[in-house]
Amino acid sequence: MSNPAQLSIWNLLLSSIADEMGIALWRTGHSPNIRERKDFSCALFDIEGGLVAQAAHIPVHLGAMPEAIKVISRLAPWDEGDIVILNDPYLGGTHLPDITLVSPVFSKGTMLGFVANRAHHADIGGMSAGSMPVASELYQEGLIIPPLRLYKKGVRNQEVLELLLRNVRTPNERIGDLEAQIGALAIGAKRLQDLVTKHDSTKVAFWMSELKNYAERLTRSAISEIPDGIYEAVDHMEGKENVLLPICVKTTVKGDTITFDFTGTAKQQEASINAVAAVTRSAVLYCIRCLLPQDTPSNEGVSRPIETIIPEESLVNATAQHAVSAGNVETSQRITDVILRSLSIALPNIIPASSAGTMSNFTFGSASGNQPFAYYETIPGGSGGGPNSPGENGIQTHMTNTLNTPTEAIETEFPVRVRNFSVRSSSGGLGEQQGGNGLVREIEFLTNMVASIVGDRRKKGALGLRGGSDGIPAQNTYIDPDGEETKLEGSVQLSVQKGDRLRIETPGGGGWGKKGEID
Amino acid sequence: MKKTLAVDIGGTFTDFVEFNDGVVRAWKALSTPQQPAQAVLSGLSGSSNQLVHGSTIATNAILERKGAKTVLITTAGFQDLLQIRRQEREKCYDLTPNRTPHVTSRDEAIAVNERIDAHGRIITPLTEKEISRVQKLALQSGAETFAICFLFSFLNNVHESQIARALRAAGLHVVVSSEVSPEYREYERASTTALNAFLQPTIRSYLDELSEKQPDLRIMHSAGGLTSAELASERPVSLVMSGPAGGVLGAIKTAQASKLSKIITFDMGGTSTDVALCDGSPNFRNTAEIDGLTLQTSLIDIITVGAGGGSLAKIDDGGALTVGPESAGAHPGPACYGTGTEATVTDANLVLGRLRTEQLLGGKIELNLERSRTALGNIGEPSSSAKSVIEVTNATMAKAIRKVSVERGYEPEDFSLVAFGGAGPLHACELAQEVGIKKVLIPSKPGVLSAIGIGTATEVIERSETILLALSDPKIKERLVQTSKKLESQIQDDFSSIGEKINLIKWSVDARYKGQAHELRTPILSPSDDLASSFHKLHEKEYGFANHKREVQIVALRCRGEGKNPHIPVFENSTNNSLNLSIEIEGTPSRLYSRDNLPKKVQGPVVITQSDTTIFIPPGWQGREDDSGNLILEYKNSE
Repeated sequence: MSNPAQLSIWNLLLSSIADEMGIALWRTGHSPNIRERKDFSCALFDIEGGLVAQAAHIPVHLGAMPEAIKVISRLAPWDEGDIVILNDPYLGGTHLPDITLVSPVFSKGTMLGFVANRAHHADIGGMSAGSMPVASELYQEGLIIPPLRLYKKGVRNQEVLELLLRNVRTPNERIGDLEAQIGALAIGAKRLQDLVTKHDSTKVAFWMSELKNYAERLTRSAISEIPDGIYEAVDHMEGKENVLLPICVKTTVKGDTITFDFTGTAKQQEASINAVAAVTRSAVLYCIRCLLPQDTPSNEGVSRPIETIIPEESLVNATAQHAVSAGNVETSQRITDVILRSLSIALPNIIPASSAGTMSNFTFGSASGNQPFAYYETIPGGSGGGPNSPGENGIQTHMTNTLNTPTEAIETEFPVRVRNFSVRSSSGGLGEQQGGNGLVREIEFLTNMVASIVGDRRKKGALGLRGGSDGIPAQNTYIDPDGEETKLEGSVQLSVQKGDRLRIETPGGGGWGKKGEID
Repeated sequence: MKKTLAVDIGGTFTDFVEFNDGVVRAWKALSTPQQPAQAVLSGLSGSSNQLVHGSTIATNAILERKGAKTVLITTAGFQDLLQIRRQEREKCYDLTPNRTPHVTSRDEAIAVNERIDAHGRIITPLTEKEISRVQKLALQSGAETFAICFLFSFLNNVHESQIARALRAAGLHVVVSSEVSPEYREYERASTTALNAFLQPTIRSYLDELSEKQPDLRIMHSAGGLTSAELASERPVSLVMSGPAGGVLGAIKTAQASKLSKIITFDMGGTSTDVALCDGSPNFRNTAEIDGLTLQTSLIDIITVGAGGGSLAKIDDGGALTVGPESAGAHPGPACYGTGTEATVTDANLVLGRLRTEQLLGGKIELNLERSRTALGNIGEPSSSAKSVIEVTNATMAKAIRKVSVERGYEPEDFSLVAFGGAGPLHACELAQEVGIKKVLIPSKPGVLSAIGIGTATEVIERSETILLALSDPKIKERLVQTSKKLESQIQDDFSSIGEKINLIKWSVDARYKGQAHELRTPILSPSDDLASSFHKLHEKEYGFANHKREVQIVALRCRGEGKNPHIPVFENSTNNSLNLSIEIEGTPSRLYSRDNLPKKVQGPVVITQSDTTIFIPPGWQGREDDSGNLILEYKNSE
């Protein structure tokens, strides 16, 4: 086994490259989605495309970034200064708003690996501003970018950029965000080059590979702690016309390996709730990563003891050209719920009840005025009660961890008014440990625009565990200028007029354990 | 000439430094966390004319949530602001995320029917009826203090003022967000306001107790200057980094005496380490987070890492050696102290012979080498494990140094490392080598450097105002001129109120590219300076790119007034316990000296002990004490 001190030291050195790229992207980003909400991820890859380090930003990108590196190999050979851009969910992407940039890193003519980042852009075109529409095919969701060189040998391909900018509603913001992504790549590349100058490339490559083995050992050790057995669970997504779509998992633990088999899961849909395989892998990795020590490097080693069986043409492994925008944000949460539910049978004292299980994606915008705009946010619900603590109110759980945009920032930049942003009382499931409460968010529109909500858990709440009751499901409501209220579906798209309001009440978390006699 | 007593209260020790007509005396006493004033007063001999003070009292009150019962008064619909915060969880991979509690709970909030919009216009007026309803609720709440924070009050504070007036008229104590932190982002502003309200009564009664005994009292604040007890009580959130700021100032002063102005400070204690970069003067930032709670105040940009002499070393399940963040603390302490059994960084230093059983803290604690060897034996062969522990510790510190230097566009090799704190001088040379620093400075009293920094600090008062205009905006010139006049006259008034004169005015702007959310605090010569080019330069330095075509927005103008600089102290050596022994370090013959008995030149490996620290000079390094009493160590590998 490798030197214990060097292992720790190289973990620090390599993880800080990904961390630092993240800090730069956050501070220099232009759209609220990046600069306020931190909806992005940064990662470092070795020369074979193996993930070496990924900063702890957005879990749904965990299993998906390696996919991007795999598909861009078709563009090899590489030159110094190349930067690839992509967002195609069927070629390394997750959903269209997530734009990924990847750049090979060289030192003295020798290639060392890749740096990459993925950021959720607030608009990528398509049928509605914010590019999270209620769609039935991929083409409606926005501009599809297969892996292309945005920079070749350091020279920008202006024509590709112009095509991109002509297809989005807010080109100025896009260019600001892309510049921030490019700047972050340059910082990551520089840090890796510095490391090689100091230690030489063979040594750096050796420790990249040792760190993957290290993460693998930590993962195997954590899996060994789970009692051997087969654990099954099922939960549902809400399809059209109140059809419940099952997501099934059979989790098999054997020694230091684990298999997740999603056979039995519903077929892919003519709707945007399809998840691509990369998203499903991200959910699997996230659940396992939660069982590992905090400082474990998030790299390829973690996935080695894990096998994932995902039936093709299913909700958890959609095929081209199905719509996918909500698979990334909604279905990914349900996949996490069922995996954790199956593990709760084996680890009753560790796994909590289900959390909100939806990101309650809210977008609005307009391209008709002289200043086009597009806004995107996700609204958390409550977290599930756990064996040792109650759930938390209104906190991001599982596959996302984005911040909110301050009301004072939203209202300065967009023609809306936030009327209410508070805790939704009594929405958490009851139990020995109560589920956390969801939130109430009410927005008034100050001009005509298009708004959409994409959210699940509108009919069935987050599941309680070990006798705890389910959380209260979400509720979307339209309020006209006279105060007249109309209940809405979970996922809707509306043309709203000045003075209209939308209220989104997010789900509470499930309760854990039977509630005692006395309240 | 006037006598000054500087006091720095830390977690374990309270440090005292007395400046008396050029004669400087330093000593330590145990802190009295239950009655912090007691430790300070115990040091007053009655002969000192002035007491200057740095304290962890504000930070401790936040950590322990010991403060006034506070109620938040805010815009209706936003009453859960301090619960929801920015809605993210602290750790990404956490199945049961729970937030640390804020200083007010959900039911300690009053929602007010009022609203101001993003242009500062009143959308929902605050009625007389509403004011009296709020007043009644406030009186019924039984709270000691009220934090008022309405949306967009940084643009228009009329509603905040109306509520404040009504509550004050009813004899209630209030803190108003537009006065404490007139900056945008409602959670951060409300959090700062609530913390300030929560701390005020505690800090005021503490400072009142001190001023009663010592009317000539100055307090160190986080932005690296002194203020009056009155101003400090009004704004206790400004005290959260009081002690560490003193350390940075002490390091700057000490380095100046040796004609060094580009330094990185390295203060390594028992459980944590503080690092800061000073390129002539320190860098500043505007936000801090303490135990999950955000506060906005100007502070020296100090990075704290959770590793120090008491940090525990372990082999994890994947076979890596980790050091910290868990610490053996004061109890049980490192294994060599006699109670603990787990290996710490201190044990590693002892096993390697860098720390000596002969002396620690003036020999007050006897160190047990065998216990250290046994503890490290649980990791591997004791000596090689000890070496590994030091390597990992230094790598952790190196990361912090890269954070303040490389990540902000500075090259560490252009700087000298000033090492202090109980453990800093043990690690300084190897750490310097790790990050490419060639020169290390060890002050003559590294164990009380914060108190020295506090004692030699000057009065500093900062004020800022939101501008939020693009540089291309025709109104901006006029606005900057007017605002700068206003800020300067306010600071003049502040200085007169504490009976001091301004010696120096420094300007900076918080600037960003239009569309960005994170401002860069950009130092400028004057508000009529070429602000754009200063900003582009800084952006290029920090982030590796600048876009001269993009519009630059000025978010705020900041004015910093500084008082007169007192002289730099010279310590006189008091010979007590001179050592000069032959020892062996890792098989190499070496020497052990006491600091007050150093030869002209020392060549590593050498260990130097003094009452407040131990210095290790590895092979390849040589040192000499200069005229100011600082030990200058330089890397001169003769191979």
